[in-house]
Amino acid sequence: MRHKILYWEDIRAGEELATLTREITTTAVVAAAIASRDFYPVHHDLRFAQKAGARDIFINILTSGGFVSRYLTDWSGPEGELKRMKFHLGVPCYAGDTLTMTGKVVRKYVDGDQHLVDIEYSFIVPGGSHCSGTATMILPARGS
Amino acid sequence: MSIGIYEELKAMVGQGQPEQVAVDEVCKHMIRHWCEAMEDANPLYTDEEYARKSKYGSIIAPPTMVQAWVIPPLWPVREMPAVYRRIFEICAKAGFDQIIDTDCEMEFFCPLFPGDREHVVTKVGEVTAEKKTSLGNGHFITLESTYTNQRGELVCVQRVIILMYKAKGKG
Repeated sequence: MRHKILYWEDIRAGEELATLTREITTTAVVAAAIASRDFYPVHHDLRFAQKAGARDIFINILTSGGFVSRYLTDWSGPEGELKRMKFHLGVPCYAGDTLTMTGKVVRKYVDGDQHLVDIEYSFIVPGGSHCSGTATMILPARGS
Repeated sequence: MSIGIYEELKAMVGQGQPEQVAVDEVCKHMIRHWCEAMEDANPLYTDEEYARKSKYGSIIAPPTMVQAWVIPPLWPVREMPAVYRRIFEICAKAGFDQIIDTDCEMEFFCPLFPGDREHVVTKVGEVTAEKKTSLGNGHFITLESTYTNQRGELVCVQRVIILMYKAKGKG
């Protein structure tokens, strides 16, 4: 199977990443919580979540982070490498929500032998901004 | 008001906890379960042949999975790391018994490979005074974690901000 390779030279600052949407089912919330070893009940127990002030169970922070790295390397292909990332969580992403993932290249530069891009991303749910932040990725360069 | 607990929380800044070691080695099965849940098709994580020919020479764990390896098991019950236990004790006695993560920052240095065993050291960074939030009033606490592999090589530095809060409508 061939995989996409996105070269640093072929990116321009201001470029938008393809939008990705995903229906976050109850099963998806629970599967991701358990895959990330997070058994805190707000991520699988509706009654517990509601007592904690939430309207439904919601995804955990590792899942939000997992969606960020998945979204970024879906864009770059497997040769793109996540160097650093930072995000703020806003409203929870509840079971039943549609999560819309968007991003934009905001800077392109070279540091030492690394060809880098900075990306701003914003993940939206019907209730507002779920997760927004920045990431730096190392991309392959032609001829290097 | 909870001036008392703010002082107690502030006294924890800079305090760390003994190194925690992952129960499980990094393994292909747990990586695959993660990819299944995230719907992450990156072949470095699950395609042996692709990964072998890559610069890593092997499957690697998804970088953002770093925290999953060191979460304590449900059973047999392990004592909660001292720093967390103390934060929960201080906050719970003032009614701030709910926890939620609000911010996360990670820098990655080297990947984890199947067979690696992750270690982590966590310390308390900053603590805020009581703040009003949409979930209820609470304190924001920054936890700084340094993840290494079994050879002591730096894997990831992470800063997470948690909110310890009192659910709205509770007395």
